[in-house]
Amino acid sequence: MISLYQPRDSPIHRLHPLTKLTLSFGLIAVALGAPVDWAPLLLYVAVLVPLSYVAQVPGPFLSTSWRLLLPFAISLFLIQSFFFPEGTQILARLGPLTVKAEGVRFAFASTVRILLITGALLLTLLTTHPGLLMTGLVQKGFPPPLAYVVVTTLQIVPQMRERARTIIDAQRARGLETQGSLLVRMRALGPLVGPLVLGALLDVEERTLALEARAFSATSAKTSLYDLRDPAAERIARWAVVLGIAGLIAWRLLEALQ
Amino acid sequence: MIPLHVEQVAYTYPNGVVALQNISFSIAPGESIALIGQNGAGKTTLARQLNGLLQPTQGRVLIGDLDTRQHTVAKLAAQVGYVFQHPEHQIFKRTVRDELAFGPRNLGYPADRATALVTQALRLTELTEFAEDHPHDLLPALRKRVTLASVLAMDTPILVLDEPTTGQDARGIQVIGAIIDNLRAAGRTVITISHDIDFCADHCHRLIVLGGGRVLLDGPAEEVFGRPEVLEQTAVELPQLARLTARLGLPLAWQPEALLDALEARQHQQGQQ
Repeated sequence: MISLYQPRDSPIHRLHPLTKLTLSFGLIAVALGAPVDWAPLLLYVAVLVPLSYVAQVPGPFLSTSWRLLLPFAISLFLIQSFFFPEGTQILARLGPLTVKAEGVRFAFASTVRILLITGALLLTLLTTHPGLLMTGLVQKGFPPPLAYVVVTTLQIVPQMRERARTIIDAQRARGLETQGSLLVRMRALGPLVGPLVLGALLDVEERTLALEARAFSATSAKTSLYDLRDPAAERIARWAVVLGIAGLIAWRLLEALQ
Repeated sequence: MIPLHVEQVAYTYPNGVVALQNISFSIAPGESIALIGQNGAGKTTLARQLNGLLQPTQGRVLIGDLDTRQHTVAKLAAQVGYVFQHPEHQIFKRTVRDELAFGPRNLGYPADRATALVTQALRLTELTEFAEDHPHDLLPALRKRVTLASVLAMDTPILVLDEPTTGQDARGIQVIGAIIDNLRAAGRTVITISHDIDFCADHCHRLIVLGGGRVLLDGPAEEVFGRPEVLEQTAVELPQLARLTARLGLPLAWQPEALLDALEARQHQQGQQ
């Protein structure tokens, strides 16, 4: 299976998949609820990066999270710096365009939020076998089709990357230039995106039929081949995080109402 | 027409998997080669070295006098056409005709030449009646022939076909076989990667057997099929008729005519006794 999972023997790998997912959402909630813009960056550096070392996956974690962030960051800073609608504080002028401080601040806040969200989910995926994640969700009462949707959605990035690589090879072999100026790269997009999207859609259809043919939608209880431990401490920690998230949302709502 | 030289090529994937080790051979224009071997033997990795999709970690591949390490895949595409195994990895145009014209247009062929090549490729692959259809509306076997036609239309001196017979019915296999024979007769080089040993025996005059990233055997079919102990190492089975001749204790043959000749010779021999 094409996935981001990196097999290691680490305390993070041994955590129940739902614990990792819950902690990720907890971290995301704290970052989004914090009153200061730099909170997500602080949590990324102070929590996620050290955890990636504990999980023995710092290389894939850092390279993948920054590669995912970069296109968002560039477009956010370009668009928000120049076109932020309510900006008044001008930092610089570039011909008819002005760089506004409010826009830069907004772009920074959005970028670090994306960094934290992708980082938290990425660390979960790097340290959790997709099969264990699916089992964990189903054992906690998730309907199998829904659990399957969650797991496949989380796996979509590496699968699409692998497919894109093959498509690029196939089109380059027919003389399509994919390297060079921005114009050349733009021109190459059509032949790459078309088969990527069509292939993904065809895949969905075939996969659905294959799942149905193997009784995926059967209502009887499913056998799990994975032995998934769920210690009491982890269950308590999960509930604590869920209550924390609920409290945080309530606090922010009350604050907004006042 | 141009020769192809693979010189002491080794390739290791970024994850450390050694796929090819010290591979050397040359292919003259007009040869029809089969790359055979079990899954993971290095067939596709080797084929991808031939048009620069992969660069050797050691050694070099020369297409005529072009070193694949010094040219882009797009540039090498004018010399080496590569037909991928899965049609869905390349098809994106609205009509079969447009899909076929994609390669010649990328190579900058004049419009009349591109049109003529597309028409010829449609005819050779028996797709003319589907020229204005959407490629995704075709049956999978025909869609696969679209990918072959789209590379034929590029008019390259060398062609690499990755598992061309997969999913084809008897007629489709016949059409593809005839295309390979015609290309060879026209002096073009064809390299076929396939598990279909009967097809390779019928349409390729030279077989290169890979195993563990090395060349285990390289020669004409009669020479390669005469070494069943080496073929066994890489899970390649002799063609059905060759196995039958072995069981009957007849001289090695894998074509019906040759088998009949061998049987007649034996009858004749027995009659004399």
